[in-house]
Amino acid sequence: MSLHPTYKKGPILKKWTLLLFTATLLIACNKEIEKGPIYFEALSPTQTGIDFTNSLEPTSDLNIIEYLYFYNGAGVAIGDLDNDGLEDVFFTGNQVQDQLYKNLGELRFSNITASAGILNSDSWSNGVTMADVNNDGLLDIYVSVVGQYKSLKGHNKLYLNKGDMQFEEVSKEVHLDFSGFGTQASFFDYDNDGDLDVYLLNHTVHTPRSYGKIDKRSEKDLLSGDRFYENTLETGVLDFKEVSAEAGIFSSPLGYGLGLATADFNKDGFIDIYIGNDFHENDYLFLNNGDKTFKEVSKQMISHSSRFTMGLDVADLNNDAQLDIFSLDMMPDQAKILLKSGGEDTDKVAQIKSNFGYQPQYSRNHLQLNNGRGAFKEIALLTQTYATDWSWSALIEDFDNDGQSDIFISNGIYRRPNDLDYINYMSNVNFSQYQQNQQDALEKKLIEEMPQLHIGNVILRNEGQMIFSKYSQEAGLNNTYSNGAAYSDLDLDGDIDLLINNINSPAQLLENTTNPQNFVGFQVSPSAEVPNTQGAKISVYSQDKVWYKEVTASRGFASASSQNIHFGLGQKNRIDSVHIEYLGGKKQRFTNLKANQYHKIDSQTAQFTQIKPQIIYEATESFPFTHTENTYYDYEREPLMLEKLSIEGPAYVFEDFDGDGLKDLYLGAAKYQESSYFKQNENHSFSRIPSEAFLEDALYEDVDAAAIDYDNDGDLDLYVMSGGNDSPEGDIQLADRLYINNGLGQFTRSAAVLPKSNGGSISVADFNNDGYDDLFLGSRSMPGAYGVAPYSVILKNTQKGNFELLDRVEFGMITDSAWGDLNSDGFLDLVLVGDFMPVTVLMNQQGVRFENQTIALGLEHSSGLWNTLALEDLNGDGRLDILAGNAGLNMKLTASVEAPVVLHLADFDANGQIDPVFFYDYEGQHIPFATKDQLAGQMPLIKKKFTSYEAFSKVRSLKQLFDLIPEDTETKKIEELRSMVYLNQTSGFQGQPLPRAAQMSSIEDFHYEPVTERLYYVGNYKGYVTQLGQTTANPGGVLSEFKQGTFTQHKELPIAPFEEGRALVKLPENKLLILYNNSTAVTLNLTQLQ
Amino acid sequence: MKHFSITSLFLSLFGLLFILSCEENNTYIQSLEDPVLFNESMQQLSDVIVYDIFSPPVASRVYMYPTVAAYSIMQQAFPEKYEDLEGQISGFTSIPSLSDPKVNPHLAAIHAFLKVGTALIFSENKMDSYREALYEKLEEEGLPSAVKEASLAYGEAVAAHILGWADTDFYKQTRTYPKYTIQEGTAFWKPTPPDYMEGIEPHWNKIRTLVLESADQFEPAAPYPVDMDKNSPFYKELLEVYELGEKIDGSTEATQIASFWDCNPYVSHHRGHAMFATKKITPGGHWIGITKIATTQAASSFDETVHAYTRVSAALFDGFISCWNTKWNKLIVRPETLINEFLDETWLPLLQTPPFPEYTSGHSVISRAAAVALTDIYGDNFAFEDTTEEVYGLGVRSYPSFLAASEEAAISRLYGGIHYRRAIEEGVKQGEAVGNYQVSKLKTLK
Repeated sequence: MSLHPTYKKGPILKKWTLLLFTATLLIACNKEIEKGPIYFEALSPTQTGIDFTNSLEPTSDLNIIEYLYFYNGAGVAIGDLDNDGLEDVFFTGNQVQDQLYKNLGELRFSNITASAGILNSDSWSNGVTMADVNNDGLLDIYVSVVGQYKSLKGHNKLYLNKGDMQFEEVSKEVHLDFSGFGTQASFFDYDNDGDLDVYLLNHTVHTPRSYGKIDKRSEKDLLSGDRFYENTLETGVLDFKEVSAEAGIFSSPLGYGLGLATADFNKDGFIDIYIGNDFHENDYLFLNNGDKTFKEVSKQMISHSSRFTMGLDVADLNNDAQLDIFSLDMMPDQAKILLKSGGEDTDKVAQIKSNFGYQPQYSRNHLQLNNGRGAFKEIALLTQTYATDWSWSALIEDFDNDGQSDIFISNGIYRRPNDLDYINYMSNVNFSQYQQNQQDALEKKLIEEMPQLHIGNVILRNEGQMIFSKYSQEAGLNNTYSNGAAYSDLDLDGDIDLLINNINSPAQLLENTTNPQNFVGFQVSPSAEVPNTQGAKISVYSQDKVWYKEVTASRGFASASSQNIHFGLGQKNRIDSVHIEYLGGKKQRFTNLKANQYHKIDSQTAQFTQIKPQIIYEATESFPFTHTENTYYDYEREPLMLEKLSIEGPAYVFEDFDGDGLKDLYLGAAKYQESSYFKQNENHSFSRIPSEAFLEDALYEDVDAAAIDYDNDGDLDLYVMSGGNDSPEGDIQLADRLYINNGLGQFTRSAAVLPKSNGGSISVADFNNDGYDDLFLGSRSMPGAYGVAPYSVILKNTQKGNFELLDRVEFGMITDSAWGDLNSDGFLDLVLVGDFMPVTVLMNQQGVRFENQTIALGLEHSSGLWNTLALEDLNGDGRLDILAGNAGLNMKLTASVEAPVVLHLADFDANGQIDPVFFYDYEGQHIPFATKDQLAGQMPLIKKKFTSYEAFSKVRSLKQLFDLIPEDTETKKIEELRSMVYLNQTSGFQGQPLPRAAQMSSIEDFHYEPVTERLYYVGNYKGYVTQLGQTTANPGGVLSEFKQGTFTQHKELPIAPFEEGRALVKLPENKLLILYNNSTAVTLNLTQLQ
Repeated sequence: MKHFSITSLFLSLFGLLFILSCEENNTYIQSLEDPVLFNESMQQLSDVIVYDIFSPPVASRVYMYPTVAAYSIMQQAFPEKYEDLEGQISGFTSIPSLSDPKVNPHLAAIHAFLKVGTALIFSENKMDSYREALYEKLEEEGLPSAVKEASLAYGEAVAAHILGWADTDFYKQTRTYPKYTIQEGTAFWKPTPPDYMEGIEPHWNKIRTLVLESADQFEPAAPYPVDMDKNSPFYKELLEVYELGEKIDGSTEATQIASFWDCNPYVSHHRGHAMFATKKITPGGHWIGITKIATTQAASSFDETVHAYTRVSAALFDGFISCWNTKWNKLIVRPETLINEFLDETWLPLLQTPPFPEYTSGHSVISRAAAVALTDIYGDNFAFEDTTEEVYGLGVRSYPSFLAASEEAAISRLYGGIHYRRAIEEGVKQGEAVGNYQVSKLKTLK
């Protein structure tokens, strides 16, 4: 077991290969491609002896129109079938015969298909996996096929391993001869009885009815529904009994099952199931209840998933010993292809699907990071792993042994039917040429015109901190139509090699030739104590690092990888300890294992131990206030907007209104909902006091509120800002309200005439030190004119019971404001944040006027999608610093000073409505954010200018989009999407981002505790349009250890994962009140947190 | 000698050439007299409307303005025969008068027609290349450049005039009006499978009417209230659609009628990831096609042909506004939605349900309005063979009269499983009212 490959090639041959290889690269792109940090060398069939091609030839009976998955390709499975230490290989073929190869060592293989008893099948094989179904210590082979469809008659096959590479097909005998739309299977022990049960993943074929309500999930479809079978081996008989319904597994016609992984996601000792479904059906996450039943919990544990889920893999991507999920979709990563391909659902269709009961799905790869507390944080956008085009197999492994898991992705579609020009123009057939009896000719033409596209396979290399870099040719990967793929250290040299099954080109063996680093590997073998080691968990510890894996075979697409466990160790060449836990609870611990070799682990010494870690999922108590947002779809009026502007709030004020020395709570509700007033009792509990005035004003949507002694009678009155995007500016529904306090916390609405706009933020302060409260009123938007900056005002208290206008400026789309003396001159300055505007600082000039010093203070390039701000002295220098909460980095939009998001605002089609047109940088290209259809929906001239999607796909600037650009076109930018700390230095403000963990979602409010120097925040936002997608990966956290301009420690708050936090209010008894949009408020006891 | 002979040869060659060019090629005049030319130009417009996927109401607008442009030039050319439309149709003012004697009015009419059409469709290059090829052919037939220039200049001026008028019809403004927000409740229209497309033109009633005084001038009787009680008249009609759909198979005449009148500009077909669209003419386009058949059969002249198209496109235009006003006010749910929800989840209508509310049936309204216009011109009992759908592989059907054809177009929607009977019966009445009103108000012939 040497670290370096011992495979000796003939010197001449090697030279030739290299020469040929170089020549290929030269031809491919006229310059030699620099080898990336991960590199594979493709070995030829003559070198390896593997000569397999999944050749596909459409027929009138079977083609992509008659069978939607005609070009899905087939699989490959790797496993040591003869226990000689070398892993053997099985390829499935759709129209060609399956093939079995024995590993001879040194990356040479021999085709033993015929001698091994593998059938010369005429069936359409899809997936293949290997598992020891009868616990005889030998891996058996299971092939999933398509049968009972058109001319296809086959059934799934179980090749029982008889030893000496002899197999017997016994599927009928053990009742696993399912015949239908088989995709793949996974064998695992669901009831911890020591034998392997099996999940059969099947796919449906489209009915004309493209989707129905999700209650169809409870129906059973005999051909396409998934199945679950229990192995009765524990009774002494190898047989499988279908228990789908009993176990709670869906067997419905809704499931377009393409991805499958079985693993213990919540580490409760029972194997769970993740199913990736194509199209409208959501992915399923079946949690194992431990009593032979499963519960589908995707809604509870996952916020959104990939829409066209294909292959997937489950492994720990961030070394926290939790299993993450990476599922593949088909979002193009080339701007040109993106702009002419079908993409996200329209907002209307997304809404209809939601009404049917589906969870949100987006057409991009999804990286679901397991938070270890019963939920996944979807961060494919943050990690830039979301777009790899038409992708099939995902394989998570450490391909460069640097200690961090990378991702391999196989790519390609032989016929690309989602080309929008094809759908709308090219596929349009002259029907007079095709009478009804010429259906075949018609289909042939439709297929031939369907565009083809070679896309390179890729490696997403984990650079640490979950930052990934994409390599394709640089990693020795090439453009093929690749589908099934599997990994294994085939030559046992310590690094992971790849096998790929291609359509119409030979299967490839990619030898890993990356520079070696430290590794360790394990082969866990069964014993009398542990009859089957599937599902075993292996943890490796070295100093501060942990690596974690489970033994499972089926992963990728229609494929199964090595069941040996391999970890790259990077710089660490010493292992402190290795922990192994088997299903059923037996454990082993080793402290003497060396790095850089494979260890055979004998499970015989495993023993029961009783240590169960306590997981705190949520530590909140509900508070009796539920915010219920009314339903209004802003984008039906303004289809080019990025987000709804009608779902701000709830608003709150926490002040002593009744003069008893205890602060009371006003909670402002959404439209059609009554706002609440809570009196604080002496025991610090809160009692809701009904108010006639608030009941009468339920029609208003409260977006912000403040206490102000308006009538100067010594008690605090209440100013409530109204908002909404469904009525025009000046509409009575948008009127702010002032409630006069009678001193007892009883309110009556004042007749004062107040602004009527979509409110954003109110802040009260005495800016001229005259003892009277003055006001800032910031507007959120101009209803119906997304992007346009509305007027905001600074109002001076005249001391006579009213206000006079000091300033009326279009600062931007204001979301938050705060007063603070930034320059210690004794006068309060004003800081504003909002959308498409910088963090704006208005310096108070002796209480007389305000000067906008944003640029002078170094904040010029801070334009963002800001949600909140707080002024706190974070570094103890006596100066107030700015905390600003932004949209975060888990966004489809990316922004920097060099490559900002640009918003162009003008009435481009001269019809009286402002058209907001966004451009952003996608994979280095400056492209429109809205699709051609979206743009044309608002501006028909786009349809006229671009009569094909091809023409539109070349647009890289506003000039190319419009022939005429109005002179008054306004341009706004987003240059910063990160949530930031701006340190108040003598030279101006110095920005530092909050840690990456706090950038996973939007930040909507801060609460800083000066004593503990901890910063609490909440976030998540679901109001973005479908094209952008909701951001829900981080409901809130606590930051500490402020060093060198930012916080360095981050912890997640134990709160509900996908709620949308809007405000934090510090209540007595060290409780933090979290106000949610459209949900029930909760309190969190901070004392218990510490 | 030699020298002389060569010179004389040159001279005689020259003379020959001279004689040839003196023998004027005037075939272009016959070509321009021939209504086939206008029919072909109309066909070209129809083809591009299909290619560009215009929805039925928008397509009716694309037909109307170019046709009025051509008509107005004919009126200038034959003032004794045709009435000026100023004062008869909303917002319209007389076109610049035809004074240049070099202008060939037919060429000018074709040019104005194609220019206005080109401005209203998307794929300009398809119109441009057609026009260029046409002019090249006319030039080969001897079209003098002076006539060409004068005619095109006049046609251009008229096109500009018409487009200026079109610009104020509120089309542009309605592009930015809100989309339809799905209403909760069984009775309300909801987007339908397979694409659940956005509702088409919910604000089409804001478009300036042509002859009608307002979009709601001819409101039909109210639809039956949506009521799932088994004894309600609505439920009985729903059941009729369902049971008809169950009975109909490919061989019945009802099926052929439904398919013949499908006229869906965009039917999407899904085969998993593979998706493609089949496109056909709009219902308005079908009646434009019938107009071509009628004018040809009646041996109408160029100007008479233009006149017939004008009357039909005017009827279609107002018919769509009237019908769309009803549709988006009544918001009646399509049979497919209710049958799938209450009767049979797997039931599919024979035709793909178009993306707008059910009541009233657009086919019924506009077919009747167009048939009334054609009957006014060519009389009742004008039997004809409808070959319009032949290019879509749907064969030929014969009718004893325009009204009979419109009746079949109307009932075809019931056979197609996309309308209840009442929307058809009331739709026909609505179309009749629109058609008759135009007949009484719109004076085209002197």
